[in-house]
Amino acid sequence: MTTAPTTEVHPAPDGPLVVACLRIGDLRPTVDPLDGTVTRDRLGVGLSPADAAALEHALRLAEAWSGRVVAVCVGPESVEPVLRDVAALGATVMRVPLGDEGDGHRYVGELAEDEHGLARTLVAALAPFGAPDVVLCGDRSVDRGTGALPAYLAHELGAAQALGLVVLGPVTDSAGRQALLAERRLDAGWRERLNVPLPAVCSVEGAGVRLRRASLAGALAAEGEPVPVARSLAVVAAPGPGSFHAGAPQPFRPRTRVLPAPHDDDPRLRLLTLTGALVAHEPPTVVEPADAAEAADVLLAFLARHGYLDDTRVTIPERAATEDDAP
Amino acid sequence: MSGTTTNGTTGPEPLEFDAVVVGAGPAGASAALALARAGRRVVLVERGPFPGAKNVYGGVVYGRVLDDIVPGWWDEVPVERWIVRRSTMMMTGTQSLSVDFRTDAWGSAPYNGMTTLRCHFDAWLAGKATDAGARLLTSTVATGLVRDGDGRVVGVRTDRDGAELHAPVVIACDGVNSFLAKEAGLLARAEASHHTLGVKEVLDLPPGAINERFAVQDHEGVDVEILGCTREIPGGGFLYTNADSVSIGVVVSLPELAASGVRPEALIADLKAHPSIAPLLRGASLREYAAHLIPEGGYDTMPALAADGLLIAGDAGAMTLAAGLWLEGVNFAIGSGYAAGRATDRALSRGDCSAAGLASYRADLEAQFVLADHKRLRKAPSLVLSERVQQHYPGLLCDLAEGMFTVTNPTPKPGGLKLTRTVAARHGVKLRQLAGDTLRGLRIFG
Repeated sequence: MTTAPTTEVHPAPDGPLVVACLRIGDLRPTVDPLDGTVTRDRLGVGLSPADAAALEHALRLAEAWSGRVVAVCVGPESVEPVLRDVAALGATVMRVPLGDEGDGHRYVGELAEDEHGLARTLVAALAPFGAPDVVLCGDRSVDRGTGALPAYLAHELGAAQALGLVVLGPVTDSAGRQALLAERRLDAGWRERLNVPLPAVCSVEGAGVRLRRASLAGALAAEGEPVPVARSLAVVAAPGPGSFHAGAPQPFRPRTRVLPAPHDDDPRLRLLTLTGALVAHEPPTVVEPADAAEAADVLLAFLARHGYLDDTRVTIPERAATEDDAP
Repeated sequence: MSGTTTNGTTGPEPLEFDAVVVGAGPAGASAALALARAGRRVVLVERGPFPGAKNVYGGVVYGRVLDDIVPGWWDEVPVERWIVRRSTMMMTGTQSLSVDFRTDAWGSAPYNGMTTLRCHFDAWLAGKATDAGARLLTSTVATGLVRDGDGRVVGVRTDRDGAELHAPVVIACDGVNSFLAKEAGLLARAEASHHTLGVKEVLDLPPGAINERFAVQDHEGVDVEILGCTREIPGGGFLYTNADSVSIGVVVSLPELAASGVRPEALIADLKAHPSIAPLLRGASLREYAAHLIPEGGYDTMPALAADGLLIAGDAGAMTLAAGLWLEGVNFAIGSGYAAGRATDRALSRGDCSAAGLASYRADLEAQFVLADHKRLRKAPSLVLSERVQQHYPGLLCDLAEGMFTVTNPTPKPGGLKLTRTVAARHGVKLRQLAGDTLRGLRIFG
């Protein structure tokens, strides 16, 4: 992993345009163990490692080409502090609102409903800046990490696409044109090296680079500055009535996460790291009612806790403490 | 942008302010607020990603100090519950004796105390400072002091490429074990006996269950302070109600904890399993566990509060009041921070930011509750943490209550004096000692 110096990019107004499409969300949402409801907290909002890597790659490419960086994020107002941190690095930032601004919890769900619409919105939002030469996304991007957004963006922009990259850098091709040299993982430890022509849309893993820190002057300059909002674009992303899914609802099943390889030389320590053995974990809530009456009590308590029943009129059952109750 | 820093190295050009406040907790935010309102250019440096990100706190915030600083604060402060019940509990392994006080007066404006989550409270108070014009610099660590050729503090170095923030006055509000105060020579190497360790768990509990079990209505809360729950280690316990969670924990003497070999989480487990506490927590699930040092040495252990170009406030200046009946910290941090900001403004106006020029800070603190209360209660920590109060009196009082309220028919009821003498002897306490400690307590708290 390489770390960039603590500097901001000083954009050249007419240089190549590098865009970072960022996913900014709660990095530690809580999930109800019973129904899977995800609760997000605006204080936990931040950049995922993949999106941080995408931004760092964007900054490096802009430096190499004396270009400009525009960082755009679709999300509610709660993402703006993070966008200010991005602005402190020298990027031009813009927030694209989508859906109900007053309900930050819904927006991710809405984004996942129409990734193509999201891509159209982003392209429309970027239009005032000119045609992007490179668009970078984290590989777990705004649409719950399906990887569909970069492909749609490439389609909308008529650009090449290279997804799931671990290495990315600028090169000059045989015809003397600016291009990208990229690597991505293959099975069995192999890697694929790609020559990517411009314009291009790339998604990167959260590996290989570490996002730089803003300078003191940059951080102070960005603090408190308003974040431009592309408000008039919300209608572009409104999902049309042309398509919808019908059928049984399926539970959300997140994709497999790729964990970084442990560094220990000792195979046993690597195994312990991978399995998480000997690490204290919060015990799960285990519901094992002994009989139907206790099961009904547990369900009533759950409904009362989540506001489906007037909890002042429902007696919360006091089940016997079990080992699972102990911290 | 580059230049030569005061330590002679070449680096980014320093940024100039009237004052640099380090730490965006209650003390730092209040200092920045006072300076910003005075029209000063002030920067508030916070190492966490937002004010309150790094705090550990499980207590009650008493808001009277805010009356003049943020009029009508209760309408906007991020409160969990307003404390309307205050309970002091003595316990042994199988007994408990509570003195429980409840009043409606604390449940309406202007209120008395509240439970709050510091990540929300600190962000709210720092927001007042930035609204008034202070600059907030987050995710930045002040790594050291910058001094001029005469040794006066003229700024701080940061971890952002070593860049410096320069100002005639630095206000160190960087919490207990303040590195800036130590570097300035105001704070000695941490003395364990002047500190306690607070450990707490936050347990999720539905609001309806809290209301029912603690006998309160929505938005009403309970503060339970507990003695006799820390085995042989001097200290105490607490239980506070939040909106949809409770905070439970212990505060124990640091050297005694280390000597005992007891894990602090084991003390919390003991407390949670106590027959008087367990029913209150049944079904609760762990949300978070945290631990933090608390400067409880009191007035006699406070460092000098000013040096040339430097003031210290809040926990950095050992401002926490731990006097048995009163356990307060945030209000003392706010009071000291605001006073530091005003003293800095006065010093800047006079053009004298030396220790002498900043001396009005201490005078201000002595004239108000911050140092007046500390001074009056300076002997309280030694009494509260004494062996008899910690090890003998909780059991003595519980046995006394049990003896008074146990009906022994056909044996006649024992007289109060005889019972007291019997119980005191059982616990190895002489009546003379009991009377002496009572008198001592009256002198301290009276």
